[in-house]
Amino acid sequence: MSGTLGIIVDITLNSLVLSGVFLIVAIGLNITYGLSRIMNMGHGALYAVGAYVGFSLVASGLNFFAALLIAPLIVGVIGLIIERTIIAPMRKRSMAYTLILTYGLMFFLDGSIKYIWGNKPRFIELPGFMQGTLPILGTDYPVFRLMTLLLIILIMGALMLFLNKTKIGIILRASSTIPEMVSCLGVNMSYVHMGAFVLGCVMAGLAGIIAGPLTTIDPLMGGEMLISSFVVIVIGGLGSLRGAVIAALLVGVVQTLAEFFITDLAMVIVYILMAVILAFMPRGLLGEGKFE
Amino acid sequence: MMNRTTTIPGIRSGFHPVKIVFIIILLSGLAVFPFVSGNRFYISLITEMMIYGLLAMSLDVLLGYTGLLSFMHNAYLGISAYAVGLFLIHVSPTSFWLACLAGIAFTCVVALPVGWVQVRTGGLAFALLTLAFGMMFHTIVWKWYDVTGGDDGLMGMPNPDISLFGIYIGNSGDPLVIYMFTLIIVTFCFFLTRRIINSPFGAALEAIRENESRAAFIGINVRKYKLLGWMMACLLASIAGALFILYKGYVGPSTMSAFAGAGVLMMVLLGGMGSLWGPLAGAVFFIYIQDYISTMTEHWEIFLGLVVIFLVLFMPTGFAGLAGHIRRLRKE
Amino acid sequence: MKRLITISLSIMIAVMFLAPCPVCAKKPVKIGVLVPLTGIAAQGGLEMKYGIEMAAQEKGTVLGSPIKLLVEDTQVKPPIAVSKAEKLVYKDDCKALIGVLSSGVGLALAKNIDKLNVPFLSTHVMTTKFYGLHPMVFRSGQLANDQTAVGNVKGILARPDLKNRTYYVLVHDYSWGHDAGERFIALAKKNGIKIYNENYDKAPIKTKDWSSYISKIKASGADGVYMAFITNVIPVFAKQAADFGLQGKVKLVSAAAPGPLELAAGGTACHGIFGVSDWSWDVNNPTSDDWEMRFWNTYKTIPSDAAVHSYVGAMNLFNAIDKAGSTDAKAIAAALKGISYDGPYGTVRISAKDNCMRNDAVLTETMAAPDNPFGAKVYMKVLDTFPAAELGPPEQETHDDTKG
Repeated sequence: MSGTLGIIVDITLNSLVLSGVFLIVAIGLNITYGLSRIMNMGHGALYAVGAYVGFSLVASGLNFFAALLIAPLIVGVIGLIIERTIIAPMRKRSMAYTLILTYGLMFFLDGSIKYIWGNKPRFIELPGFMQGTLPILGTDYPVFRLMTLLLIILIMGALMLFLNKTKIGIILRASSTIPEMVSCLGVNMSYVHMGAFVLGCVMAGLAGIIAGPLTTIDPLMGGEMLISSFVVIVIGGLGSLRGAVIAALLVGVVQTLAEFFITDLAMVIVYILMAVILAFMPRGLLGEGKFE
Repeated sequence: MMNRTTTIPGIRSGFHPVKIVFIIILLSGLAVFPFVSGNRFYISLITEMMIYGLLAMSLDVLLGYTGLLSFMHNAYLGISAYAVGLFLIHVSPTSFWLACLAGIAFTCVVALPVGWVQVRTGGLAFALLTLAFGMMFHTIVWKWYDVTGGDDGLMGMPNPDISLFGIYIGNSGDPLVIYMFTLIIVTFCFFLTRRIINSPFGAALEAIRENESRAAFIGINVRKYKLLGWMMACLLASIAGALFILYKGYVGPSTMSAFAGAGVLMMVLLGGMGSLWGPLAGAVFFIYIQDYISTMTEHWEIFLGLVVIFLVLFMPTGFAGLAGHIRRLRKE
Repeated sequence: MKRLITISLSIMIAVMFLAPCPVCAKKPVKIGVLVPLTGIAAQGGLEMKYGIEMAAQEKGTVLGSPIKLLVEDTQVKPPIAVSKAEKLVYKDDCKALIGVLSSGVGLALAKNIDKLNVPFLSTHVMTTKFYGLHPMVFRSGQLANDQTAVGNVKGILARPDLKNRTYYVLVHDYSWGHDAGERFIALAKKNGIKIYNENYDKAPIKTKDWSSYISKIKASGADGVYMAFITNVIPVFAKQAADFGLQGKVKLVSAAAPGPLELAAGGTACHGIFGVSDWSWDVNNPTSDDWEMRFWNTYKTIPSDAAVHSYVGAMNLFNAIDKAGSTDAKAIAAALKGISYDGPYGTVRISAKDNCMRNDAVLTETMAAPDNPFGAKVYMKVLDTFPAAELGPPEQETHDDTKG
């Protein structure tokens, strides 16, 4: 149906979209880890919550773009509640405990999702102009996937601006490298941790509603995305934002190519890639903890 | 390592007489339980608890004593279970001990290079590497349909007879035989591990857990000891794996999944790290609660999540820590 | 510190005390229901549960005692399912096991059935390995893979718009998917249906983004897709294929009947999926119409094939217990051989030869639903009916005819 050029365009766009979704989820996870030293196993579940909330908002007649703004905020509020009630008291304890705690959180959120929305898959109704396909270089590509790509670039740009240009962003970044100094300057570190955790949750929610129409919304989406985003941040280097960008692109491209050419072993190849990179660079591509 | 092998394990210093009495009562209670109750469900459940207890204990050697976190220790239980099963199916359906030995040896052969790579790191990087390798093993088992049976699991495992020094003990297909066998092996492993952990070797591991660089300064070869700790943990896990397949007669890839791995980690933390008996208790509790809640409601995930959150918040040192508190309170 | 200990101890004690008390009344006949209520197949599992519950309610009693169903979640994990089965049989004293959605779980249970020593009737497992697997293992439910393949090939040959297409075969990467793919390819080749990739594609079960596969299909030039996916993924794939503009151009034929609830969620993107099934609510006969309304009134869920064949399977089991005259495992197993039930989709008979059921099937296509009491927007329209004898597998009648 489509020529070689069309296939190349298809594969490129597919891998970019996949990378983009991985990136938004992984960045959220990395913000939480880099700034508040919490490896949030519930991140995937929060991503699913974002998607479901987005679905409910759109289904209740709200404009898709309004839902795109509101759903992440709702997830952010949920994140705030979680941080204040269970994460904050645990911050001084060993990381193993927060891992298990957030693992429990994941079960709780996944179970709640199933309780509220049931098991069947859900689809987010897109506005009319985003449906249909656009002919590009010999292939027809869905409009909304192109819009998604654009959206992800915008979000990443906005996030970079926020972290680099605003006062809050600068405080956040500074506290990842020299928390003692930031604390000395009169910043309440507990608010910084809270802010970072909530920001991470907002990113998860945002990723959820972006990925919703792209894939499907079902109760298992969270756990699966959690594992994929783990792979991304581990390859990129824990807490490293640039590492996450590189790793997301790498994983997205490798997975898409593997699915296209050697379908059978696509997942094995991603894990082998991870094991090989870690065997030679135990701290990931860009090293652990460089929050930039 | 074992320079005082003449000491009978269990009666060495560190076991309070009250504890010895307690252990004897517990063990004899477990030994007569099947004859008193006769309910095969509980026999099965306790067997499973003991097997997972052994696995949790092996993870404790790594986590509680060496300070290395493994997300997917169940991978080594799985590898061993597959190896034992494949040996019984393809090589010899009757050689029970040889099959167990083959499973354990194969697991060690796999674990050694993995461990060699992993010990070059530490901390979270080590933990995430275990996840990467674990996922790899899981995917391989899932995909290698011809050998492992894929998601159908390993089918058609024969039930060999167990005999020791020519004395027939029983058939491994009999739940009662497996129960007794598991009880003996797990008890033996517990005391042996306790003995090893209380030796200079264990002290070296603990030194590494407390402070890696200081341990290196006083002349401990950190990587070597980490690797030895890792191998010991994998060895114990492989014994649990052999017991697992004998008990279930079956093994599938879900036994080796990341979620099952996190469950094992939870057993250790619930029980309390660094105590050996704590993880055993954690396994008993975890399996019971999971089994119980999932029977009560289809929304068991919510309740399991809540129980885990509450336990971590209010009982962070696990059962072992709780026991310590009670002891201290009594002294006050 | 004391407070903490008190709190934690009281939680533990509370949990321990919640432990199930020994069941007081020993009267009812207990049947263990094993269905997935969490995990990828949870929706199907729930519908199976509804079907079995409805059968138990309508049947009311067996051997003069009330039927008591004990439901356990298999989580689609074989080891967990085996533990649950042990619990149901050893602890709760269930006389038979019913349900089970996935082949992996079904085979793991079958492996343990000697130990459990109760009859096990699956209402959904589709693997061909179930034929004559074990004297106490039965199937009365979803059409098996070979029967589905026969039905789909017949359907494709019968429809000119499907017949002259080249099919791209894409399956979920697990044993059922492999089996379904291989059976279809073998049969299609024999009947002159063109297959694009005889070395069919296997997609991991966790695939959410199907774009790579869709691009591959686009690149291949195939104008038909034969897919073997877990039910709730069918609309997902259809939706994404529609996003890429493939709807209508590439015809989708499914090896598993899509669930009506999932179809409703997918909307117009889910129109035009072909596939055989034992039943759809478009089957119009008095028994079927009546059943639909009873189901709808009880559960307010669109009646699905998973529910109806679980209902029929359960009826076969209950009737077999009555026929056996006791709850003895061997007696029930003997009674199940050759038993039949006339339900919403005709006679469903468990073959005495291989312990698996034979029944008619319908070829369906999904399209916009006419006005219906369930509020469904998409439905599986019945195009053809295939009699049981044509679906196979052949059986020699070595047993007395028990229909009567």
